[in-house]
Amino acid sequence: MTNISEISSEFSFEKEKAIARTFSKRFQWEMILMGLGQATIWLSLWPLVLNGFLNLWVGFLIASLCACFAYLPSHEAQHGNYSRGNSKLRWLDGLVGHITLITLKFPYHMLRITHMKHHAYTNNPEKDPDYLNAHTNSLLGVIKNVLDGTTLQFEKYLDVFKDDKAFINSFHRAIPLALFYKLAPLVLVVIFPLETLLLWWLPAKLGSVYTTVFFSYYPHLGTSTGRYKDTRFWSHWMPRYLNHSMQLHFIHHLHPSIGHYDEPRAIEALKPFLQARGVPGADEIPDRVSYNPLIKI
Amino acid sequence: MLIEKILNHISNWGKVWFGLIFLGSIFNATFEKISLLSDMPYISVFAFGSGALIGFLAKMRGAWL
Repeated sequence: MTNISEISSEFSFEKEKAIARTFSKRFQWEMILMGLGQATIWLSLWPLVLNGFLNLWVGFLIASLCACFAYLPSHEAQHGNYSRGNSKLRWLDGLVGHITLITLKFPYHMLRITHMKHHAYTNNPEKDPDYLNAHTNSLLGVIKNVLDGTTLQFEKYLDVFKDDKAFINSFHRAIPLALFYKLAPLVLVVIFPLETLLLWWLPAKLGSVYTTVFFSYYPHLGTSTGRYKDTRFWSHWMPRYLNHSMQLHFIHHLHPSIGHYDEPRAIEALKPFLQARGVPGADEIPDRVSYNPLIKI
Repeated sequence: MLIEKILNHISNWGKVWFGLIFLGSIFNATFEKISLLSDMPYISVFAFGSGALIGFLAKMRGAWL
């Protein structure tokens, strides 16, 4: 256990921040392409399937892949990582954030504010909206919770943060879209039952399970509270390219403005700092992350 | 306020509506594709009834799974 007072000035927070800042400047065009691209592909599946140009089951597979790619571009938008503080570009955060989440049927503002609270109160049982995801006994338990909607305790957090005006306002702003996402499948299913099931509802569920397992469950599994303790470096049998490199999610919790595709290089540069601070799993970080799939069987 | 009433209704009865409309439509479309069942009388009533029943059970249990 590394005590903060024992950290030498060589690994000071100021120095860590200065290094992190160098990875927080690049315009993330790949993420915008991914967000808008998957949403465009997903939307195009509807006319293709309905007009018989594409088999429904093939459409289902493509829609499920789109759903797995849907959250991350919105996540970058939630942190303002497209506009990067430039008020003239803030529309880009909103545009990508909203459009990419159509596939998952989630309102951007609701995810944005709960995600900000997740960062502020990571692993706090009362205040972290993602707490249940990382603190359920088993992977199957997490999957079950996502499938039946148990993890979406929006009403609870509306009460927990009732005195936070910004939270309440954003939440209320998201309600019309939340209602739309509830009602739209109910209307569509009457006209196109199997298409609605296999192009939207089921892919959205699979995408939500994928996102929760790799973004919430594994990175926070067995971690505690505190800036350098609430997220871990981990590895498993799946190459990192298949799970959006969420083995590296801890660096995002430390420095959310680092662009997703710049995280490997940032970790390489910050590795001594992470080890000095005792980030869970930091000793196992390879010297070169860029082309390392981080597999552990 | 109307939105508040809608939200309360969804919160209380959303699972039943989802079962009746969503699951009912899926069951109905699936039964129609199964030739053995497609000629049965009242198959739609059975499809939507099953959906509503599942939704009602989920409401009683407080969870789908």
